[in-house]
Amino acid sequence: MTSTPVTPPAAPAASAPSAVAGWVGNPWARFLLRRAGRLLASLAVLVTLAFLMIHLIPGDPVRAALGVTAPPDLVEARREALGLNDPLAVQFVDYLRALFSGDLGVSMTSGVSVSETIGQRLPATAGLAVVAFVVVMLAAIPLGLAMAVLTRGGRRRGVELGFTSTSAVVAAIPEFLLAVGLVFVFGVTLGWFPVAGREGAASYVLPVLALALGPALLMARIVRVEALAVMDEDFVRTARAKRLPPLRVYLRHVFPNALTSTLTIGGLLLSGMIVGTVLVENVFAWPGMGMTIVSSILAKDYPVVQGIVLVYGAAVLLVNLVVDVLLAIADPRSTIREG
Amino acid sequence: MRELSFHGVTVRFGAGRSALAAVDGVDLTVPAGSVVGLVGESGSGKSTLAKAAVGLVPTTDGEIRLDGAPLRARRDRRRLQMVFQDPYASLDPRMTIGASIAEAVPGRPGRTGRAAEVARLLELVDLDPSRAGSLPSGLSGGQRQRVALARALAAEPDVVLADEITSALDVSVQGSVLNLVRDLRRQLGLTMLFISHNLAVVRYVSDVIAVMYLGRIVEAGPAAEVLTSPRHPYTRTLLDAAPRFGVALDDPVPADSELLDDEPPSPHDPPPGCRFHRRCPIGPLTVPERTVCVEKDPQPAAADRPHRAACHFASDAAPASLEVPAR
Amino acid sequence: MGRAQWRAALRNPVGAVAAGLLVLLAILAIVAPILWGDAAEATDPAALSQGSTSDHPLGTDALGRDIMFRVLVATRYSLGLALLATAICVVAGVILGVLPAVLGRRSGRLVVAAVNLAVAFPALLLALFFAVIFGVGARGAVLAIGLAGAPSFARLVQTNVAAVSGRDFVAAARVAGVGRFRLIVRHLLPNVGEPLVVNATVLAGGALLAFAGLSFLGLGVQPPAYDWGRLLGEGLDRIYINPSAALAPGVAVVIAGLAFTLLGEAIAQVVGIRTTRRILPRRSATPPADPADGASTATAPAPTEPAPDAVLAVEGLRVGFPGAGPDGWTYPVDGVDLTVRRGETVGIVGESGSGKSLTALSLARLAPERAVVTADRLDVVGLSLAGGDGDALGDEPPRDDPAVRKHLGTRLAMVFQDPMTSFNPSMRVGWQLAEVARVHEGQGRRAALARAIDRLRTVRVPAPQRRAHQYPHEYSGGMRQRAMVAMGLMSEPELIIADEPTTALDVTVQRQVLRLLREVQRETGAAVVLISHDIAVVAQLCQRIVVMYAGRVVEELPADRLDRAAHPYTRALLGSVPDLTTDRELPLATVPGRPPDPASRPAGCAFAPRCSFADDVCRADPRLATVAPDQRAACWHPRLDDQKQHGQEPHGQEPHGRQPHEEGVSRA
Repeated sequence: MTSTPVTPPAAPAASAPSAVAGWVGNPWARFLLRRAGRLLASLAVLVTLAFLMIHLIPGDPVRAALGVTAPPDLVEARREALGLNDPLAVQFVDYLRALFSGDLGVSMTSGVSVSETIGQRLPATAGLAVVAFVVVMLAAIPLGLAMAVLTRGGRRRGVELGFTSTSAVVAAIPEFLLAVGLVFVFGVTLGWFPVAGREGAASYVLPVLALALGPALLMARIVRVEALAVMDEDFVRTARAKRLPPLRVYLRHVFPNALTSTLTIGGLLLSGMIVGTVLVENVFAWPGMGMTIVSSILAKDYPVVQGIVLVYGAAVLLVNLVVDVLLAIADPRSTIREG
Repeated sequence: MRELSFHGVTVRFGAGRSALAAVDGVDLTVPAGSVVGLVGESGSGKSTLAKAAVGLVPTTDGEIRLDGAPLRARRDRRRLQMVFQDPYASLDPRMTIGASIAEAVPGRPGRTGRAAEVARLLELVDLDPSRAGSLPSGLSGGQRQRVALARALAAEPDVVLADEITSALDVSVQGSVLNLVRDLRRQLGLTMLFISHNLAVVRYVSDVIAVMYLGRIVEAGPAAEVLTSPRHPYTRTLLDAAPRFGVALDDPVPADSELLDDEPPSPHDPPPGCRFHRRCPIGPLTVPERTVCVEKDPQPAAADRPHRAACHFASDAAPASLEVPAR
Repeated sequence: MGRAQWRAALRNPVGAVAAGLLVLLAILAIVAPILWGDAAEATDPAALSQGSTSDHPLGTDALGRDIMFRVLVATRYSLGLALLATAICVVAGVILGVLPAVLGRRSGRLVVAAVNLAVAFPALLLALFFAVIFGVGARGAVLAIGLAGAPSFARLVQTNVAAVSGRDFVAAARVAGVGRFRLIVRHLLPNVGEPLVVNATVLAGGALLAFAGLSFLGLGVQPPAYDWGRLLGEGLDRIYINPSAALAPGVAVVIAGLAFTLLGEAIAQVVGIRTTRRILPRRSATPPADPADGASTATAPAPTEPAPDAVLAVEGLRVGFPGAGPDGWTYPVDGVDLTVRRGETVGIVGESGSGKSLTALSLARLAPERAVVTADRLDVVGLSLAGGDGDALGDEPPRDDPAVRKHLGTRLAMVFQDPMTSFNPSMRVGWQLAEVARVHEGQGRRAALARAIDRLRTVRVPAPQRRAHQYPHEYSGGMRQRAMVAMGLMSEPELIIADEPTTALDVTVQRQVLRLLREVQRETGAAVVLISHDIAVVAQLCQRIVVMYAGRVVEELPADRLDRAAHPYTRALLGSVPDLTTDRELPLATVPGRPPDPASRPAGCAFAPRCSFADDVCRADPRLATVAPDQRAACWHPRLDDQKQHGQEPHGQEPHGRQPHEEGVSRA
């Protein structure tokens, strides 16, 4: 204890001499400012990398896209149109300028505007990810808590073993393999749900299930482990010493304190699920960004790839921001601590 | 063995609002061949001072000298060795205790020379030399702390800094480690800075006692004098609060003042003037005319007062409220 | 990880199955291309895109090639590529992870920031990004998957290295003059090895699955080469015609991926087991009601009627855990008798491992779930919680009975050791106090909070109105402990059990809390049981002191008779820690050896091996016997001399010079 100086309690709110000082002194304002700065830095890196992607590809990307048989003057014309003949710095400035006006360039193969393509494809992907995430949360938290309560203190070893091994196995199966299995069982064998396309609520069932099952079990495992860890904490013993009814102990004292890590993992899972749609979409021929990015990579249609990578990356960063803000709200200590 | 001295040593952590001077302008001398006990409560900066001396934390200001010569290069730091509080954390769990000790032996004595040195050191701390090949996990807390002491001595240090070396140990083995410290001191004439939160432990091993509060030395002097006639009210508070046999909890002492009910001051924002004034039983909160405590820092003139006490009223301090009976 | 741990990982059923699968896959990877390589390439124009037939159990693909052979042969390529990607990932990760430690503070921080940024993006996104740069194909995919996994592995290395660098033994090595490079090689890497091995194993499974994913998307292995992912992608198109063409490679991927992942988890569990839980030995479901002969002869044979004004009466309290004892159980508390009268203050003293805290928790029915508590009598604040036949108290029902809960919740208060961790960090202090009144007395929010504020004022928390609305982390340690006492005062407690309430506090605050307990005891008439390792603290507050050693009470005496303690252990406790009156010229008393492990407690007097008065008689169990008025000791050779002794009394050993030390390691 003597080795590190104790983090002192927050100084009592000093009477603010001016509004600005009060604002600067407000831990929330400082936290949000710091966090926004980090988001901007991350976005800058993301944009730079997306821009550089085309230039990191060995060889001439335009030649690669148009194929070896394309006439040289067509390649040259396309290079000129894409601005690839300008100095790198000029290209970067142009890229940024276009980006800020919402212009992500045009497809090398189809000539369609990239932002238009993304605009068409985004809702399908976002819908899939959001529905799957909601399913994960609704299923995993109660399941994890219930398992923690049932198996606390080494009780019901059988239940524990069943749950941990089943969830470990299922969570280890990647979404696209799960998707194939689901297609086989519910599409081919039983014929209950459509196995391709996006039409009506029924078409959501299998993709959502494929995307949500693994993360849900993973999340339930983590909720259980976290809740068990919290149950070992001193303050839960205090709550028991107050002889509170067990339900109250779990809901008021255990769960809120297991929330922090649940949120953190939830954020990671959501990021993973947003990108995981790529695979699931390709199994179910789901008309989203994932289908588009894969076909674009194969067709070497780099502007489209660039645009979609940017959208995925931005979505992930946004999720991280939301999670951090939620964490700050959930944990009264985190706002004064370093973020 | 040589003399270690701190001159205006300051250690600051962090920046901006979270900045904190864990050690703030400390002057302290550990004379050659003597044991200086440093007491203070958690967060007073006593461990940080030791870490600054061995170079584990950088000093912001001031100088640490060995026999008057400033200590700077890494090589010099080996002249000082530190023994840590928790013997379960301070030994590499994957290294035999012999290897841990040998690592600290200076120079390249060769395999046999090293083994002989390790055996000699183990014997010095009352451990069987044949245990050199065992891992720390096979040792008890007290034995580990002996190994840690042996490792510190292996470097042939001029000064040993012992940081709370008994507080992580079981009650029944604390005594044997303290006995060892006293024996080693007698045998080797160790120069030592002995840090503890426990005044009684410090009293048992030290020639000189220094008391630290909120990053500063508030009083320092010969052990017997500091204990029998403390000059700083904080020292008195510590003395009064220490549990002792035959003294009931009900006998009120100045330390029971309501002033202590409030939050202790934050090291991020130390009080102006005397840092103890908001909790001081003889300060402005009980004697209103003593406004000097709020206005003026007692530190600068400390050297002229008895026990170098950082208290404006050190000279007219009454003797300790509880005489330590001679036995 | 040592050889023993590998062996333990393989003994674990999950680990054994996983390892077996991996061996099988390795053999397959070696022999399959040799045996069936040609068969897998042979096209059968007569059997294009067939379902399962006797010639082709899993059917054929569009060119009439046998799916089964192709899946088997693909093992080598699939595993090889995955392992290659894993190797890239581990190497890149370790380099990035150790770099901050090598570079030093400033540039190290840059590396950490870069890794943190990269970790924010899911690996698949990174893999797609790299796949674009390195081009479609096996080589590109290996690089893409390897590099995509590197950031998270690097972060793992960084956190582990940072955790180890923060430990004292690294600081000690630095102080001893060990150089930076040697520090990394000798101290850091060996101590982060275990989690890295585990994670690399899990990672290999992940890489395998990721590779299958990329190949499935057409971004990985390109024809004519094929791996499982490629086969899966091709098979999916014809899933209506021949499901097994898609399912077989899918199953292969899942099995291989699981084998790696589960092996990793099995290792992790074995590594973790050393600190968390042990594999339980075979044992009976509950401990035998009648303990092995001699084990509990220390307890009174038949319950006697306790004093009428007792708020706590315990006889023959035993707390058992499944463990390594002779009957599959260990008893950290092994036959404790204790009576506390109304308004009395009793201190329980003992070293760590003496069972004092577990005794307290068991009395309050708060023992850990796995513990089995039995007692001949256990009357707590007027509630009989055990009958005379050694009832097991570990079961839930009585504890969950609302009436019992209310009774204990209002009459029994607890104060715990660490005020930092004993409050719920996400709930305001006032509400945590108010909860008691709301739950047990059905008070409204406002009334309960008002009472909470009043109790905070009682324990002299300044500005209680404001403080009640603060979170625990905004309190200092001493104030939190006072708030904990206030929580106990929300009802009218008859008994307050304080378990090491001052150990985590500074001396000045310690005295404050002790005085507060005294005050509360005076004003409410509640009895106080104070548990501490510090006999001086206990002596200050308590009228009666109970000394525990190795799960038993060894002496019970009035506080004012401490200087005439009869048990050698009590004397040793008093003499081995200096107080402000200790003679500096004499060595402190020492006790050789260390307290016995509850699982292997010596027969008879547990202190005998460390006691200089021990002889053959001490092989029999000593009972608590009266040695003086109000003083009882469990010792065959009680010290009855009246000499003052709590200075240093080197009991029986040579009074001056070196004394033998612990555990027979000393040369003496």
